[in-house]
Amino acid sequence: MSEPKFSSYRIAVNFLLLLSIAFSSHAQNKAILSVSGEVTMPLELKLTDLASFKQVSHKVKDRDGKEHEFTGVPLIGILEKAGVTTGSKLRGENLAKYVLISAADGYEVLYSLAEIDSDFTDQVIILATAKDGQLLGTGEGPFRIITPNDKKPARWIREVRSIKVMFAKN
Amino acid sequence: MAVMRNLLKTVLQNNQGWFKASLGCAVFISCGLVQGFQNKNTEPYVLKFPTNFGSRYVIPADNPTTKEGVYLGRLLFYEKALSANNDISCESCHQQKLAFTDGKAFSTGQDGSLTARNSMSLANLLWVRNFFWDGRSPGLEDQARFPLTDAHEMGQPLSESATKLMNTRLYPPLFKKAFGSNVITGDQILKALSQFERTLISAGSDYDKYLAGNYQPTAQQVRGLQLFDSSPDAKRGIRGANCGHCHGGVKTFKELFHNNGLDSIATDLGREYFTGQSADRARFRVPTLRNIMLTAPYMHDGRFSTIEQVLDHYSEHIRKSPTLSTFLQDVSNETGGNNLALTKNEKADLTAFLGMLTDSSFISNPAFSNPHPVINP
Repeated sequence: MSEPKFSSYRIAVNFLLLLSIAFSSHAQNKAILSVSGEVTMPLELKLTDLASFKQVSHKVKDRDGKEHEFTGVPLIGILEKAGVTTGSKLRGENLAKYVLISAADGYEVLYSLAEIDSDFTDQVIILATAKDGQLLGTGEGPFRIITPNDKKPARWIREVRSIKVMFAKN
Repeated sequence: MAVMRNLLKTVLQNNQGWFKASLGCAVFISCGLVQGFQNKNTEPYVLKFPTNFGSRYVIPADNPTTKEGVYLGRLLFYEKALSANNDISCESCHQQKLAFTDGKAFSTGQDGSLTARNSMSLANLLWVRNFFWDGRSPGLEDQARFPLTDAHEMGQPLSESATKLMNTRLYPPLFKKAFGSNVITGDQILKALSQFERTLISAGSDYDKYLAGNYQPTAQQVRGLQLFDSSPDAKRGIRGANCGHCHGGVKTFKELFHNNGLDSIATDLGREYFTGQSADRARFRVPTLRNIMLTAPYMHDGRFSTIEQVLDHYSEHIRKSPTLSTFLQDVSNETGGNNLALTKNEKADLTAFLGMLTDSSFISNPAFSNPHPVINP
């Protein structure tokens, strides 16, 4: 009596697992990251579009207290691709630019443009797409910011949907 | 100013007629431009709120808040002529005594059918940036169009509403005062309603008094507040209900959308309808908890009739699904536990704290009440 029950349970679990994998990979392929604002070329990036960028990894301790290896592309590279005023152009009024990053759930964090630029800092902030060799799953991916030097991971924003470059106006 | 006057005098005295004429034209045109943004007969309405609410809000440049606009908006909020059968106003689903909700799971529209979601409280909308349960509307002016025109709500085209109001004795002079035009338009109706809604600020609860140092909470309320704001950490012996994660801060909402584990298979797709992304399935707006004891039933579908049921849900009945908020997974007051596991007393403490969010000055403020003479009270 118990055996068939057990196997039908297993089938159900496997089916659910399969369903959720199918669901998350479907969601991953469809998710789009937009780069807009003070850019010369607005971008709409899918996960596959990031393959052509330089890949960087960071071993950092996440919220769970454990060390993970995050792999992705330098955020500055994406901003360069969109034609943001980086490097030698990051001077004068451009120093009053900020980058507002928004997640699927509406969470928002902000960086000044200079904080991300490699002429200003050795820290390489990445747009991570994988953790410990696995693509980031639902609730975290497909895109997540990793800022290794931030002691508190509150700006390691998950499920990034939008990167907006703006001028501070007051 | 004196310098300007002297300069103007010199220019006018020493120059040719054509120059004076074009100068006059320029002054006339620039006056016209200014008038486009703020009707010269209006007085600005100053929005007052405690500084801890912050000023992260945007009022559209073409709809400044004026005393005349706010008063007109208040009349319109309580105006049944804005519905197809002249029997429903905004108030029908947003009653002041219930913090601008209607006490029902779903509301009945002009065609007798029910709305798809629960009527939301209209408190502190000034700070809201994405309206409706699914956040599909980016501003109040845009939001108001939906309930006014949707067949299952008030069901009347804005042009028809404008025509009806033009044929009254009451409204044409009020629109003229607020917007400086002789013709009433649908756009002006939306603008006036939005101006009134921006004034619906709830910041006079015991919680506000406590934050200002003018209220001594009971021991139970203090325990409730502590639980509300704390994340559980069983290893360090910290008990918490983790409410503040989404409802933290003085406004008691963050501009967030989460799947809060109501169903394992969603019947209402929530934000996914709007974004088209399956990762947004069953994600709904994090609503304000201000006046929460007055705004039952709860959730986007009004499934919970009491606050106790809501607390039971978050404590013990979170349903798993692929888009369940990560903040509601594996958070427990017990080591290795998979739900919050709050005690009966802790739930009572939380309820006591939530009661501090009731703002009696908000629900009795005469500036928000029905301004029309009531014939049959």
